[in-house]
Amino acid sequence: MSVEQQPRVPPGQYVTEKWPVLHYGTVPKVDLARWDFRVWGEVDSPFEIGWQEFRRLPRTKIQTDIHCVTRWSRLDIEFEGVPIRHILERARLRPAARHVIAHAEQGYTTNLPLSALEGDDVLLADVADGAPLTPDHGYPLRLVVPQRYFWKSAKWLRGLQFLAADRPGFWERYGYHNDADPWLEQRYSDE
Amino acid sequence: MSSAGPAAEAARRDFSQALNAKGHAVENARQAVATLERAFADGALERTPEIDQTLDDLRRALAQDEGQKLGGKSAEAARFIGRRLERLIEQA
Repeated sequence: MSVEQQPRVPPGQYVTEKWPVLHYGTVPKVDLARWDFRVWGEVDSPFEIGWQEFRRLPRTKIQTDIHCVTRWSRLDIEFEGVPIRHILERARLRPAARHVIAHAEQGYTTNLPLSALEGDDVLLADVADGAPLTPDHGYPLRLVVPQRYFWKSAKWLRGLQFLAADRPGFWERYGYHNDADPWLEQRYSDE
Repeated sequence: MSSAGPAAEAARRDFSQALNAKGHAVENARQAVATLERAFADGALERTPEIDQTLDDLRRALAQDEGQKLGGKSAEAARFIGRRLERLIEQA
């Protein structure tokens, strides 16, 4: 199928103008004075930065579509934040690094292959549609990986851990698909 | 080697009944966790590191700060993790 013929919305999805709020537990309370973001694992330059330093990192905007495993898609949402490419360069990944675990508040984790971070549309986002993220959408920071179902775009992000071997995250341990490609409808691991 | 005997079987049955009772998945899971903790305390079932991690995940999914609503995926997490626990305690 040519690019022109490719449908805009993956199979099994419907388009909504809303941005549904879906998470487990409750929305964490965040104190920016105590907030930090950590990068560690298979990297030569692990680092930990606070909110003020994070805000001074190089920034970009993207416009993209997002697809939730629960079947809603939202089109043309604008995210602003730090390109993941900058984080990878600063951390100086070792050749052994092949996978990443995103760590978020309340012990939430999700896993991705390093290859999923290669796109220019992968961000650490703190702004959506021109406004700071709201608490229920991940304030102050979330990962944005538009090419995967949106549970991989962890809200309330606090760190990235680079690994040589894959390790399942929270939902992946309990039945969500490890790869989560919306175009292949990789929703659950037993399908 | 899994726990055997009437107490172990009763504990597994009680956990499944609590988890799959009519009602809200979150409340059922809370009851099921309480049932399981009693079974561990009584020695009817034995903990394993995997059960402990799974229980920790379930508690996080069910954690509710005062005055806040639970997120829309707490019920799904309760069902998914509860099913995993059912399988794990078959070997516990």
